[in-house]
Order: sequence, then C-alpha cells, then structure tokens
Amino acid sequence: MCAQSELQFAALIDALAADPRRRERLTELLHEDHPLYDQRGAAAIVRMRGWVLLALARIGVTDAALLFVLEELDAGVDAYLVAAAARALRSYPEPTATFVPFVMRALANIRYHDDPVSFDNYGEYTISSTGTSPVRELLATLAWLGPHARGVLSEVESLRAQPGGLPKKLFSELDRAVESIRDGAQVAEIGSDACCTLPSGLRHTFSRARNARRGCEPIESTIFEDHAGATLTFKEFFYGRPTVVVFFYTRCDNPLKCSLTVAKLAQVQKLLEASGLADQIQTAAITYDPAFDLPERLRGYGQNRGLRLDARHRMLRATDGVNALRQHFKLGVNFIESLVNRHRIEVYILDAEGRISASFERIHWDEQQVVHRTIEVLKEKSDETPVEVSPEPADPTTRRKIVSPMFASFASLGVAFFPKCPLCWAGYLSMFGIAGLEQIPYSPWLQPALVAVMLINLASVWLQGRSTCRMIGFYLVSAGALVIVLSKMRLGLENFAVCGVVLTLVGSLLSALNVKSGRPAARN
Amino acid sequence: MTTKKRKATKNSKSAKSTKASGKSKSPAKRSARAALSVATNARRSVEERVAALTEAPIAASEKEDDLQAVLDVLRNKEEPQQVRLATLQTLQASSFGAPAFESLRGDYIAVLRELATDPDPELRQRALGILARQKDGFAQKKLLEGLRDSEKALVPLEKALQLLSYDVHSDAYSVSREIVEKPPSTVAKREALRLLAADATAAPIFEKILRDKDEMAENRQISASVMQTLNPEKLRTHAREILLDTSEYDDIQATCLTALTQFGDAEAIAQDETLKTHVDKLSSEASPKVKQSARQFLKKYSG
Repeated sequence: MCAQSELQFAALIDALAADPRRRERLTELLHEDHPLYDQRGAAAIVRMRGWVLLALARIGVTDAALLFVLEELDAGVDAYLVAAAARALRSYPEPTATFVPFVMRALANIRYHDDPVSFDNYGEYTISSTGTSPVRELLATLAWLGPHARGVLSEVESLRAQPGGLPKKLFSELDRAVESIRDGAQVAEIGSDACCTLPSGLRHTFSRARNARRGCEPIESTIFEDHAGATLTFKEFFYGRPTVVVFFYTRCDNPLKCSLTVAKLAQVQKLLEASGLADQIQTAAITYDPAFDLPERLRGYGQNRGLRLDARHRMLRATDGVNALRQHFKLGVNFIESLVNRHRIEVYILDAEGRISASFERIHWDEQQVVHRTIEVLKEKSDETPVEVSPEPADPTTRRKIVSPMFASFASLGVAFFPKCPLCWAGYLSMFGIAGLEQIPYSPWLQPALVAVMLINLASVWLQGRSTCRMIGFYLVSAGALVIVLSKMRLGLENFAVCGVVLTLVGSLLSALNVKSGRPAARN
Repeated sequence: MTTKKRKATKNSKSAKSTKASGKSKSPAKRSARAALSVATNARRSVEERVAALTEAPIAASEKEDDLQAVLDVLRNKEEPQQVRLATLQTLQASSFGAPAFESLRGDYIAVLRELATDPDPELRQRALGILARQKDGFAQKKLLEGLRDSEKALVPLEKALQLLSYDVHSDAYSVSREIVEKPPSTVAKREALRLLAADATAAPIFEKILRDKDEMAENRQISASVMQTLNPEKLRTHAREILLDTSEYDDIQATCLTALTQFGDAEAIAQDETLKTHVDKLSSEASPKVKQSARQFLKKYSG
C-alpha cells in the first residue's frame, strides 16, 4: 500500500517548492526508485512526476534537475510529462543551443499525441482543448530558445507547410517561435561562448576508476536464467570478460526506451563483431520483470530486435536475488505489484571482475561511445596504476572557461611586475641575485602586450559574470586594472600596484569559481 | 398524435422532400461535403443523418473543418443519441487514417473526456472505452474512482475492470484482488481475474482456482491460460493431475490436454505410460471436445 496519498504528495511538493532551504529535495523526488513511487499505477506516477516538474518550472530548474527535464524531452511519450518538462526547461537560467535537439525530438515524438493538459491543480485533466498541450509548450520553449535554435529554423518553419503538420490553431504559437528564432537583435548577443556550452548538469555518463569500483560480492551468487533456459550465477557469466549490460522489460510500452535499448544493444554487438571483439566483450540484457519475462519471451523479444544470442551474448532474468541486483546497480526503476511503473534508460559497462566501470543513464546513449569505453575497459591490465577517470567526458568549453580567467590573472600580474625602469631592475636584481642579470632580457614591447592581455582578461571576466549573473569578479578585476594603471602613471602611487594585482587575482579567481560551481539558483 | 407517429410522419416528409428536391444522391456517390451537410442538419431525420455519418467520405475527409463539424455534433448534448453515437463512430474511424484528424486529436480527446460523464450511459461507456484503450489517465482515474466508490461509478463494475485491463500498468490490482476475494457477481470475479492475469505475483491465486473443483469452469479455464503465461511448468504438473481425475469437467480437461500438447515436456510425457493410457481412454470415451484434444495429444506423443 502507498503510505502517502497523491494529494499529500502534492502538498509536500508545494511545501518544498515554497521553502528555499528544502528545494533540493524536489530533484531527489525525480528518482524513479524513490519509495514514494512504490506500488502506484503508471498514471499516478505521471501525475506525481509532472507536479514535481511544474514545481521546478515555478522556482527554476537547477543543474541537478536539468537531466531529468531533458530525459523527459528525449524519450517521454506522455503528453502531461512532456508538456511539464518543456515548461520547466524555460525556467533554466538561460537558453543554450544544447537544448534544441531535445526540444525538436520531443516535438517529433509527441506531435501525434498532442493531448490537452491542465497545470492548474494537482491531478487535473482538462476537458477543454483551449488550454495548453505538449506541442504548445514545446513551441513556447522554442520561442524561449530564440536564436539558439537557428539551426532548426527551416525544420520549424516546415511544420506549417507539411501535410498533416501542426493544426491551424497552433499557427500563431508556431509563428511566434519562428519570429523569435529569427530575431536578429539577439543573435549578436549570443556570439559569446554561452551559445554552445554544455550545461554542467548534463551528467548522464559516469566512469569509475579501477580503485573506485564497488566489488560485486553481494550479487555474485544471484541466479539468472537465460533466453535458452540455462541457469547460471552472476559470477559465472560476468567474471572473465568486460560486459555491456542493459536493463529492459518486454512489456514496456514506451518504444523509445526498452525496445530501442535492446535494438541499440544489437547494434553494439555488430560494432563489436566488426572490430573482431565479439568473443572478448560480452553483452547482456537483463529484464526488470523476471516473473513475466520467461526464456521464450526473452528470446523472441531479442531476436525480433536483431540481437545475437549465444554463450557470450545473453538475455537474462534473475530468478533469485532480484532485490540485491536492484540495490547493487541502484536501478532507476519502481513497481506496482510485479510490474514496472516507471524506469529510466540505463546501460552499464562491467569490467572483467563484474564491477561497474561506467554507466550511461537517462538520455539516449551512443553505441559507438559505449563500444569505445568497453574497449578501454578491455585494455585495462590488472596491475596497472589506478587512474581516476573523469566523471564524464570533460567538456572542453567548461575547462576553457575556468582556465581563461586564471591565465589572464597571470597576465595582469605580469603587467604589474614587469620591470619598466632601472630601479625596477635593481629591485629584481636584489630579489633574484645579481648572478642572473645577464640572463634576463629587457623587452619593452612586452608591456603593451601585457596591457592588451589585461584588457582581454577584463572582457573575459565581464562575459563570465554576465553568463553566471555574478558580477562581483568583474568589479574586482576592473578595480584592480584601474589601480594598476594609476600606479604606473607616476602619481606617486607605485606601491599600490600590488593592491591592483591582488584585486585582479581575487576577481579572476572568483569568476573562475563561479563557472566551476555551476549556474546560480534559478530565478523565481 | 403519439411521439412515434409524429416522428414517422416527420421522417417520411423529409424523405419526400429529399426526393422532390432532386438533389439526393446515392450514398456511394455523395461527396464528403454533401454527406456532411445532411449529417449536421438538425432538420433532417435521425435515420438520414446517421446514414450520412456512417458513409466513408466523411471519415476519410481531408478537410479539418469537416471533421470539426462532426465533432461539434458529438459535443452537442441537444443532438439525438443515435446521431451522437454515429458521429463517435465516424470520428473513431477517421482517427485511424485521415490525415486531417491529427489536427483535431486534442479536441477529440477533450470531447471524449467530456462524454465520459455524459448522462447517456452508452455514450459514456463508448467514450471511456476509446480513452481506456489509449491508456488515458483521466479515464483510468474515473474508472478507479468508480471501483472504489460505487456512487461515482460511470459504468458497471465489470465493464470498469475490463476497461482498466487494457493497461497492464494501471492501479487496479489491489481492487481486483478484493473483488476476487469477495466477488459482488460472477462476471465481476471473471473480469477481475482477467485483469490480475497481468500480475505475476497473482500466480498463486490462479493456481488455487485451477485446483478448486467447486470453482466455475470459466474461471478455472482463465486460470489455466494465465498459468500457461506465468508459470507453465506448474500448469503442466496440475494438468496431468486434472487429466487423471475422472471427476473433472470436460472443458478443463480439454484445456489441459491442449496445454500439454502444445507446451508439454515431450521427453517426460513420452515416458509417462499412465498418462498416455488415460488419454487414450479419453480419446474414445470422453465428450467430443475432449476426444478431439486427446487425439491431437496422442498424435504428438504416441507417434
């Protein structure tokens, strides 16, 4: 039985949204395995998750919640959830081009299921088509994305002309979106690096270093039955070679989840075969619904999706130790009776000792990327020095954002400390010792170059501040630059140059830290 | 004049006027626009309107406005019930293929949700049926409310269970278990069992019913089918026992014979002389239904 009624749940969400100190818990409630979702029907789960997304839409989507919003747009087929996700995305601090493919995919997935939805009260279903709908919300989101969606302008425009395209009643929203995308005034403003930045909240791939991987002792003895009816333990199958593991169930009614996942696993197998690794790397598709997915059913499901099935490539159902398996993988799934009521997309790469070395969650994964990662695991040697792997493939733009202000800080330091007169040289000589005099070349041309770098730093910090809505770094760097310039004007303020350098350094560091810590809390 | 006579006179008048106008065309030749003008004309007889609505051109119309006009008739509570039912049928046919329908889909769903609480029980049931097949959350919520509180029921309990069973992810399992435990009617119990068939944890319930000779034959047959889906090995064990029991019902024995013939362990059955001898006896002495199943069994296992 469900401990909390749906109305109590809705009240909890509203209370969490109203309390800034507890808002983070809203994101926790988007995890499928949360106990609150246990033993509820799929329609109830839709209402509950939709209400959480709408609460996020009111208070602003954070980086931590962003993945859940994008997941819904990527693979959602329920009108209410897709509409709520589209609305929630618009509360993210700023639009970026990264969101555009998600919105377009959602539009393609849902446009033939554009059921009217109501966001006014919890659990409300509209009986009027005048309200909102997923397509309306997605068009509004495209309008919000504006010039960031320039790449799909022709695609959006064609929605009007296509036979069986959007209904006439949506033309005004469509026109608004097209107008917003074309808006030239905004185009100039997005010329900065903000246009293509991958939001740091988009962590759907995780890698674990060898020494950070959890052992699989708790599930070693979990018993599986495969597609042919053969019985084997976790240890028997998963030890010895790396394995690509996907989770699915045959009664999943979302074609963008289980069916597609198994079809993609078949593609992984083909890539492995093409690389001559089909015997060195195993694949497994494990069902969430072992009581129903009997061997014959598993076999038919896999074969219909082109899956290769043999001793190294199996479809499995856990006949014993299902809960241990669920806990070990921290599966994103919940149930009503024996049936799945909601699950995420999840793919794991296990090393030769059955330990999880990488996972791909929620958002659709790339088969080639999974194969590459598995080959890396295959190449691991047992005696190699453990190397911590980045939690996700590092985003070069993010790295650049942090490095740039730091580099420029050193440039400012260079301007301040550059020896500009014989006295300066004397000072340096006293510091480094007379022995090094002949090794320090005097280059007057370096001074204007360093001034230019200081100005670049100033512009860079301003852009950072603008994108993160935190200008304190820029103010400090500006003050620092001013002090440095004044100190060099022979007004008797030479000693203040150090203050300028310190201000520049602190401002640049603050700016860099703002980028690293992610975007600020969403606006109300 | 009675209402019936008045209606008949009106109908014949309108029929005459149609003929007199010389504009009447056979349904096969009528265009969607012409059929629509009849279907939406409240002054035409109910029969004429229903006939026009059920013609293919309207359902296949490529004009959004045509289908919108039909939808308006469906929404109008003042329209005769037969006409509204015919519009529902037309729109449902259109939903399968007419390109123009996609533009109306949202409106159609909204109208169906409205119809789900219409005073007319048939319209209500049909609308809920269409919505339930699409796994509509609104329909499921209303049906579940009706199961939990009979005063809120929009359709009979048995029908509600049947409609909820279209979605295996619905929240009707606990209610269904209660109904199986304390059934208000035999039909309700049957429908509750059919719904529970999707839940693998309900296998023990079906096993118990299959083995209970006091249970209705239909429920035991459902149980046998469900066991074949959820736990075929256990069904095979019970099927053998049922076949060897001379006091068992013919229908159940026939079902068990089919299960063993289609899905039995060929090696084990080939060595089971007791079973084969008994089935051989059934093939000559039992009812025609059992005889036929027994012969198929022997054909497979006795070569």
